[in-house]
Amino acid sequence: MKRTLNINIGNSIIHIEEDACELLTSYLVEVKQHFGKSADDFEIVADIENRIAEMFTEILNTQQKQVIELEDVQVVTGLMGSVKDFEEQDEEPETVNGHAQHQQFAERRIYRDRDEAMVAGVCSGLSHYLKIDVSILRVVAVLSVFLGGSGLIAYLILWVSIPKASTRAEKMAMKGEAINLQGFKRNFEEELLVLKGNLKNAGDHLEPLVTRSGSFIAEFFEVLGTFLQGTGKVIFKFIAIMIVIVGSLLLLSAFITIAAILGIWDANANQLFPFNIIDASYFTTVAFAVFIVIVIPILALVLFSVQVAFNTRPLNKMIAFGMLVVWIGGVSVGIFYAAKISAEFKEEAEFTQAVPLKPYPVYTLTLDKSKFFTKEDSLKYQLNSKDYNGRIIINDHDKPFKLPRNVYIKIERSENNAVSLTESYRSEGKTFEIALNNAKNMHYDFTQQDSVLKFSPEIYLKKNANWRNQRIELLLKIPVGMKINIDKELDRLMRDNSLWDCDEDGQYNEMYKGIMTSDGLQCQNKQ
Amino acid sequence: MIAENTQTQMRKGILEYCVLLIISRGEIYASDIIAELKAAKLLVVEGTLYPLLTRLKNNGLLSYNWVESTSGPPRKYYTLTAEGTAMLGQLDVTWLELSFAIAQSKNQTNP
Repeated sequence: MKRTLNINIGNSIIHIEEDACELLTSYLVEVKQHFGKSADDFEIVADIENRIAEMFTEILNTQQKQVIELEDVQVVTGLMGSVKDFEEQDEEPETVNGHAQHQQFAERRIYRDRDEAMVAGVCSGLSHYLKIDVSILRVVAVLSVFLGGSGLIAYLILWVSIPKASTRAEKMAMKGEAINLQGFKRNFEEELLVLKGNLKNAGDHLEPLVTRSGSFIAEFFEVLGTFLQGTGKVIFKFIAIMIVIVGSLLLLSAFITIAAILGIWDANANQLFPFNIIDASYFTTVAFAVFIVIVIPILALVLFSVQVAFNTRPLNKMIAFGMLVVWIGGVSVGIFYAAKISAEFKEEAEFTQAVPLKPYPVYTLTLDKSKFFTKEDSLKYQLNSKDYNGRIIINDHDKPFKLPRNVYIKIERSENNAVSLTESYRSEGKTFEIALNNAKNMHYDFTQQDSVLKFSPEIYLKKNANWRNQRIELLLKIPVGMKINIDKELDRLMRDNSLWDCDEDGQYNEMYKGIMTSDGLQCQNKQ
Repeated sequence: MIAENTQTQMRKGILEYCVLLIISRGEIYASDIIAELKAAKLLVVEGTLYPLLTRLKNNGLLSYNWVESTSGPPRKYYTLTAEGTAMLGQLDVTWLELSFAIAQSKNQTNP
């Protein structure tokens, strides 16, 4: 007993044994393949199948059986003929074709190859035509550009004059392939393979579809765009890497700074200008706000550059949005406090006091940088007056956190022929009371030692006081005819009446020599 | 071996002519054409015939119509078209020329 199958062949249903069916199937496959080359394959195969079905039916009838057996298939395929026996009339034209193929192989035309182009396909096209490796030609081209730029002009000329291969036939002619059906088929299949390979690598520059433009200028811009995509990409990646490095360093320093400011390392940070503008109560908040406003853009730039440089996945949208929200929050807080702080400078107050002066015929005005300590400061710095006998400590460094200039000295003519010195303390504040308080709460050192008037170059704010533009103006009035010497260093504290150009050429004096006249302070030697 | 090649070449040319001659007698289908060719001792397998018939039909020399049959699938019955008849006439002339050429080459003696 054997298994049978039902097959549909030539529009008839035939019962056939399993092994017979296998033989029949392999025969029919052979036949199909054989005729697959010609255009009429379907019709021919259909005819053959019809005939086979007819023969099967005959056999079933004459032998009065119901199932086709293996021998029957063998008989029928013998009658039909094996594929080898098919005498093809088409063989003749093929040899003619082969001959033509041979001939057309020699016919190679020069085109620009835009598909394998780096810039305009000049080198690619030339390499096809001359059968020289394209890389060699490119190296020659680049080198020739450097030799006086002639290569560039030659390249442009070639670009304009050699046509580009746009149709498939042209591309085949460029490569010297035969222009017949087989050639087309081969060319098309090659292209499919390349396309598959490209898609697999998921390259992200798609060939622009505007390759049909005939004009040179349009093509030039298109090439520029592609160039920027290609070679330009490398440059951009390099820039992106630089940004990543620099940005990371900036971020690191920002983190260190914020830590320092918030007092993790230096407890007295908020005593320094400009930090002491901000009231201690909201100092931390403001510091954070500023930190966010500065850091988040840098962070975003660094992350983006990393993505560009190393082709990583783009930033998660939620993270990016979160960063934006935080940044806006930081900006808002910053603006809020900026407004608040500027309100602290709304009002101004002034507070004056007179300083007793001993009269002398000539005053010498000097700058005294020494610092005088209050009692509590002495305790703080552990200065025992027993150990230190009248020593003066000079505070002479130009700190980066120095307060802005806040000492002004004016010298005017006295009305009543007497000398006088008035100190005016000024400050700003949120209200008048606060301003006045601020004005009173600063410390300025002035001493007179015989005929020398010593002025300190700066004022000292009380501990934990906020900077509110505290300043002092010292008004010195001397009668007409009185001479004074002014230390050069002091001169820069002078408001309005600087004796800066009192020095004659070639002369160098340590002091400016001035004299009070009815028109104000003048140089002694320029009267 | 070499003779086979030449023989095949000769046969190929003749086959088409014979097929056209057979069909010119009247409506006939593929399987019967084979039988006729066998009777004429021109051996060829059926598989060769079908592509030939299709090609002749595509060139406009033959036409066919389907005829239902009781014993199996419908059959294509082929007839000559007007062009087919004309071409047959040309082939007749060619055949005469060829047989004259052969007869001449056979009968003449070399000097």
